[in-house]
Amino acid sequence: MDAHSIFGRQRGPRAMGAVNWRGLWTLYLKEVRRFLNVFTQTLVAPMVTTLLFLAIFALALGGAGREVAGMPYIQFLAPGLIMMTMMQNAFANTSSSIVIAKVQGNIVDVLMPPLSAGELTLGIAAGGVTRGLMVGCVAGVAMSVFVPMRIYDPLSLIYFAVNGALMLSLLGLIGGIWAEKFDQMAAVTNFIITPLSFLSGTFYSIERLPADWQFIAHFNPFFYLIDGFRYGLIGRADGSPLVGYAVVLGINIALGALVHRMFATGYRLKA
Amino acid sequence: MIDPPIPALHLTAPRARKFGPVNWRGMWSLYRREQLRFLRYAGESVAGPAMTSLMFLAIFQLALGGDREPMPGVSLAQFLAPGIVMFSLTHSAFEAAAVVIFHDKIEGMIGDILGAPMTALEVVGTFALSAASNAMITATVIVAIMAVFVDLPLHAPFAVAGFAFAATLLFAFLGIIVGICAERWDHFSAAETFLVFPIALLSGAFFAVAKLPADVQWLFKANPAFHAVEGFRYGFTGQAQESPALAAGILLAMIAVLGGVAWRLFAKGYKLKP
Repeated sequence: MDAHSIFGRQRGPRAMGAVNWRGLWTLYLKEVRRFLNVFTQTLVAPMVTTLLFLAIFALALGGAGREVAGMPYIQFLAPGLIMMTMMQNAFANTSSSIVIAKVQGNIVDVLMPPLSAGELTLGIAAGGVTRGLMVGCVAGVAMSVFVPMRIYDPLSLIYFAVNGALMLSLLGLIGGIWAEKFDQMAAVTNFIITPLSFLSGTFYSIERLPADWQFIAHFNPFFYLIDGFRYGLIGRADGSPLVGYAVVLGINIALGALVHRMFATGYRLKA
Repeated sequence: MIDPPIPALHLTAPRARKFGPVNWRGMWSLYRREQLRFLRYAGESVAGPAMTSLMFLAIFQLALGGDREPMPGVSLAQFLAPGIVMFSLTHSAFEAAAVVIFHDKIEGMIGDILGAPMTALEVVGTFALSAASNAMITATVIVAIMAVFVDLPLHAPFAVAGFAFAATLLFAFLGIIVGICAERWDHFSAAETFLVFPIALLSGAFFAVAKLPADVQWLFKANPAFHAVEGFRYGFTGQAQESPALAAGILLAMIAVLGGVAWRLFAKGYKLKP
């Protein structure tokens, strides 16, 4: 009995064009469902943590009407916190996805299907961006209950939100592909991502830093993300938003190319 | 497969080891196992919290400005440093205790402990002590690093050590309870996010509760971590909003309650034994 009589007709390989759209969509859905399945951990928990940070800073100021750049400090802080939690969650999504898959060995399920390096990069990064943006929306809505918020420049807001989540998703992919154990991943998070995001101007205007440190702060790519996002929300930036537009785009292209290269060569992915 | 011949020296069968009312050697073995497990990952379990603590210090300094004194004669950094260390102590102790129990439970290794000739009190006590001492090792490193940047007074060393021990013990018992009750990793992280973080962060570690409006202060005073922070900070700065003796009493009472719950849960084998 051959295949014809079982299935009625020949089942050849599925034809696809230049891009395997169905595969890409499936990979993306897998990444999104992965974090939605544990949404208390991936959406609600970041929101609570962000609100806690807001509460602490509000309480630490103790009603002393401290102002940053002519606005109450809390209004200055809120956009920074939203962006920071978006970045951390985008990073966590892609890095944990890759490291867990590698450690458990089910990374082959992603490497075997007919998906090109570019499709893998895009599909997994898009999952991280989705988580980042969803966390950002949840945290933003929750915060707007306590902090008056109005959007100053929606275009910048969306640009920096998407690019910030994308940058950290790509960094998460790089970290996840590089790391061979959970402790290496934790080290990357603890010693690179958290310091860069904490010290990027989330909590203070970099004008408060000594002049030398202000100069150094400009080398922190996360500074441009936070600063640009804050500009989009409250219309105030430490640096020039236009420079931020260019820097962020340039970094994302470079990181995207690097991740593409890693998938294409199978660096630490294929034996 | 044939057993290898028994060497002549071991021809007499080993007899059951005798021990008194407390299995000290069992406790010491379990304690050492936990110590080795901690040291195996000392890179993350010490360096990670140390990094976070230093960043908290930097952020609060930069964001809140150095000119304001939260308590008379105490600079912002001197006020913050003990609070940040206490946050690290409580969080590390909780995590150490909860992860150990929970991990052993889902990996099926908890049988090694349930099967050992140790009473529930011995096991729970050893777990709590090892989590407490591991967290205190981390905290010692953090204090040493902070002392480089902050002019940290040491008013009452015994109060510092005592409150550090009490706080870690309290949160270790909480960790044991969570570790026993959690069935999945999300239960554990939910407990961390919705219970431990709010308790540890809204404790007055980062802000002076005394400066808050009088009608909300009771809310913070109901938090056991507030008393730990107050006592710990008193040990460094010699100043506190409430008397250290009261703080110590409240902490001891809480330890007794949570320790009792952890002990009973373990003795019953709640979610541990089939």
